[in-house]
Amino acid sequence: MRFLSLCCVGISAIVCRAEVPSFRNDVMPILARGGCNQGACHGNLNGKGGFRLSLRGENPALDHLTLTREMMGRRLDVNRPEQSLLLRKAAGLVPHEGGPRFGPASDEYQTLLKWIEMGAADDPQFATLKQLLVEPREKILIAPAGNFAIRVRGVYSDGSTRDLSNRAVFEPNTLGLVNVSPVGVVNKLRDGESTILVRYQNRQLPVSVAFIPTRAEFHPEPTKPRHPVDVHVFEQLNSLRLTASPMSSDSVFIRRAFLDTLGQIPEPDEVRRFLSDENPDKRKILIDRLVSRPEFADYWSQKWADLLRTEEKALDRKGVRVFHQWIRDAIARDMPLNQFAAEIVTARGSTYQNPAANFYRSLREPYARSESIAQVFLGIRLQCAKCHNHPFDAWTQDDYHEFAATFGQVDYRINGNNRKDKFDQHEFDGEQIVFMNRDLALKHPRTGKAMAPRLLGETSPLKPGADSLDRFADWLADQQNPYFARAQVNRVWYHLFGRGLVEPNDDLRLSNPPVNAPLLDELEMQFREGGFKLKPLVRLIMNSRTYQQSAIPGPTNDGDETHFSRAIVQPLEAEQLFDAVCQMLNQRPKFDGYPKGTKAMQMAAMPQDRRSRRAQQSERFLKTFGKPERLLTCECERSDDTGLMQAFQMLTGELLHEMLGEEDNRLGRLISQDKTDREIIDHFYLASVSRYPSPIERKKLEEYVAKLGDRRKALEDIIWGLVNSKEFLLRH
Amino acid sequence: MSGFQLDRRAAIRVGGAGLLGLSLPELLAASSHPKACAKSVIFLHQFGGPGQHETFDMKPNAPAEVRGSFKPIQTNVPGLQVCEMLPRVAEVAKHLTVIRCAQHTMKNHNSAAYYSLTGMAPPSDDQRLRDSLDLFPAYGSIVDKFAPASRAIPTFVSFPHVIRDGSISPGQHASFLGKGHNPFFFAQDPNKADFRLPELSLPASVSPDRMEHRTEVLRIIDEQADRMDQSIVARGLGESYHKAVNMLTSPDFKKAFDLSKETRETRDRYGRTTYGQSCLLARRLVEVGAKFINVYFSEIIGGDKGGWDVHGFDNHPQDPILKNHLLPITNQTLPTLISDLDERGLLKDTLVLWMGEFGRTPRINKLAGRDHWPQCYSLVMAGGGVKGGFIYGASDKIGAYPTMGQARPEDISATLFHMMGINPESEIRDRLNRPMPVSRGEVIRDIIA
Repeated sequence: MRFLSLCCVGISAIVCRAEVPSFRNDVMPILARGGCNQGACHGNLNGKGGFRLSLRGENPALDHLTLTREMMGRRLDVNRPEQSLLLRKAAGLVPHEGGPRFGPASDEYQTLLKWIEMGAADDPQFATLKQLLVEPREKILIAPAGNFAIRVRGVYSDGSTRDLSNRAVFEPNTLGLVNVSPVGVVNKLRDGESTILVRYQNRQLPVSVAFIPTRAEFHPEPTKPRHPVDVHVFEQLNSLRLTASPMSSDSVFIRRAFLDTLGQIPEPDEVRRFLSDENPDKRKILIDRLVSRPEFADYWSQKWADLLRTEEKALDRKGVRVFHQWIRDAIARDMPLNQFAAEIVTARGSTYQNPAANFYRSLREPYARSESIAQVFLGIRLQCAKCHNHPFDAWTQDDYHEFAATFGQVDYRINGNNRKDKFDQHEFDGEQIVFMNRDLALKHPRTGKAMAPRLLGETSPLKPGADSLDRFADWLADQQNPYFARAQVNRVWYHLFGRGLVEPNDDLRLSNPPVNAPLLDELEMQFREGGFKLKPLVRLIMNSRTYQQSAIPGPTNDGDETHFSRAIVQPLEAEQLFDAVCQMLNQRPKFDGYPKGTKAMQMAAMPQDRRSRRAQQSERFLKTFGKPERLLTCECERSDDTGLMQAFQMLTGELLHEMLGEEDNRLGRLISQDKTDREIIDHFYLASVSRYPSPIERKKLEEYVAKLGDRRKALEDIIWGLVNSKEFLLRH
Repeated sequence: MSGFQLDRRAAIRVGGAGLLGLSLPELLAASSHPKACAKSVIFLHQFGGPGQHETFDMKPNAPAEVRGSFKPIQTNVPGLQVCEMLPRVAEVAKHLTVIRCAQHTMKNHNSAAYYSLTGMAPPSDDQRLRDSLDLFPAYGSIVDKFAPASRAIPTFVSFPHVIRDGSISPGQHASFLGKGHNPFFFAQDPNKADFRLPELSLPASVSPDRMEHRTEVLRIIDEQADRMDQSIVARGLGESYHKAVNMLTSPDFKKAFDLSKETRETRDRYGRTTYGQSCLLARRLVEVGAKFINVYFSEIIGGDKGGWDVHGFDNHPQDPILKNHLLPITNQTLPTLISDLDERGLLKDTLVLWMGEFGRTPRINKLAGRDHWPQCYSLVMAGGGVKGGFIYGASDKIGAYPTMGQARPEDISATLFHMMGINPESEIRDRLNRPMPVSRGEVIRDIIA
């Protein structure tokens, strides 16, 4: 058998190329189409049933060896090709856990058969794929139209072009929406949108598909939008026949704008003033005022503190305070974000004297540093490429490890560590000096050789001897860096809309295209030209109609949560909710180690939980509502999913009830000022949901107070109802 | 998978019809769930690491420093001896599957505990493994995702401790599956006379009447925001509130926590200890339909009144602690739970799992204790479709290494999921959207009845 197949290599070289199926260009793609080499099947780390292929065919040479030589060559039989186990398994002629993948009559089967007949040779010398062409890349079909064809072609190193529609893999990202025939014809199963990933060998391109109903109710926006955000959003909405929701009311707008910029809700006076203001530019004026308020820096530095792992165990009490202060100052001054990033990634020296050095203090090994930096600053999730080439992106394992080597020399001098728990290697209490240790180098995990640092997307390594952090920072902060600005713009959009233009917001890659690419391009351009500044970007976006529209859907857009045809309803963040309840009741529980009056969102970091120190009610409240532990450099760590424990916290939780019952809370104060029931009810409506009660609400609630007899109790019940209402718990 | 069902045959048809573009794992996940034998699981977690030599894998013929000072007694199952301190356990041997070849490589409590609670190997063997959202969810959270309990009953309940060794041991919550799948957890002591759950009780200032009034007020306000219900988030919030209010007012679930409904005799049988009454509560929760219940034996690894970590440190040799604390509690509570479930006809579909994070060293150390030993240890299952009176696997003559059978924590997890009707290859995704199977182990088919 071995002898035979060796012979055949010689033979196949003289057989006409067109007649011999190519291992790399035909057989490997067929295995991919059959799903044979995906992670759940033989592409699994441990293979399946003793048969292991490289994940998604990343290593054709090894797979060839596995197919022809492993298990004493029993998978292929060149003498009796149709008896080959590979074919019999794939066709379901012998039991196969993965089921039959293609029948004997199929082109796939016949091609494999022929390849085995011709000697089952590998052919690395054949022309290699240079470019994958997929058409169309985007398709919107309005009912009754229900199908179209995707054409896939490959351009090869010898200049030839080949139709690959019967070789490529078509993978829709949503189940049950479309089916794709073996030759790339896409058929609608139901209306909706999907991305179909077209894969061939190690290349992949996405095709965005939308099957939309006629939507007779659709009417385009009567006036042509002028704001750059609206231009792009409405162009897309029109082509999808989605009518945007109307503008939000002033009440909804002021509450949303406060929450998104300052992380807090407006006071009744602020609401009253805004509602009665007749100036047509009042929203613009409000946005300007909000962005320059000090709470803007509090709130947006909290977002960065989350991402930069500002937490006490690794950074210690002093560390979190100096680092948080540094971040806050940068935001308050509107330091260009590329400069901000560069200062962080190059920071060295004392973690007390040079606060930004705390970033490396919590990222204690090169892989954690490179993965975190890629995710936070470049919007790239590299993690997959640690163990195998990234299955959905271009990054190879080499890219991964050589990028990690950039951060391989970061080292620490620990000037005393007063950790409370000597067994806890994650706890540090005391000053540390971050420095570059030239004696360190990240070793190749297999060969053990020191690796030369190489930046993502670059072909050659950094010059030896150069300070790799400085070089990286120069590249990162450069005007032309292809990743940084885009990732930051997308993150800001995510914070203002609850959903990125690319989603998840830190996972930018070819196979995960933005929902509106021209819009992201435009914002990225404006951000670069504006000097990488956060505040102008926030102002720009908030002044768009897109930002200001209502969350309530109309007949065409009730199913739309992705194209920004309406505002997305989201739960308040843990700190927002806590601070809002406190503000509304005029109570301010004290956090351990922070001065009285400190808001949840102003805390540098949550006080550390220890056996000796039971978490306070307020801390438990924040944790229940998803305040992140700050152990991941990912917004995804903040969980705002609703669950039972949150409901209990609001329904029966002690914290809320203590504040509610406090004699001298806001209610007590209003009562002592001899306010009427109506005045008090109005006041709390404004203080919680930024609107006046409707006539019906007013009537019913006044009746309720009268009926119950105990006035204070009745008003407490109304406040309880307000903080438990959806309107309060949600940002809408 | 809601609203989209494919059986295995359909999966094959789709594949056979010519690669319709549905990916195979999605199809497989949607199909081929095993039949559920266990409706509920009670996981009695033995923090600290019980020694196999003093419980279920006695070595009477080994040298003195290996066999220790306790003698074995015969059960009515041939070949199954247990420690002489566990005579009542011996009486229920016909219900037990004893696994004597459990093994892994994690020597620290937190890493090993995480492994035992999730079936997922921890990223490192770390005395203070940090709990974070990139670690795996607890068993019960996965069950809540794939086979949730119905009505106003939480799928996953855990009590009466958060286990921790210096820092909280990971593996006790839903992690990246999201808070919606967290256990209904409480740390109140069911053995206390005033045992009640604050979550299920109204604050002192709020009478049931007043709560009624308040929900009325809330309805008036929420009516104004009616149209917001078209958003998924608002609906989710509404559902959580609804379930919470149901639990507050549902007699079923609340009653489960009212241990005074049990006779004094029953309560005494379980033992008037936190652990004993917790096991009784676990039975009551099974009765109302909870599906996965974690009862933690101890909050801390060792000490006079703690868990099974008997190194002999600080002049505390292991024998007195085993004799006065660990073994008597086990002897009282474990067989009571099993026979009580059996008497009520619940054992056939309730799986009881008794397991710690590792075993203990074959040789008794200089301090008259035993140290950590993940290389080989014993655990016990009963009911829920596993064999009774069965021994799976074996260890060598000093209880140091398995000689037969394979039972890594991942194999235990695969078996648990399988018994609950969840395909161990069912896919979940972490916060980075990476797909992973709920278990990476193999179902231990030999123990299935």
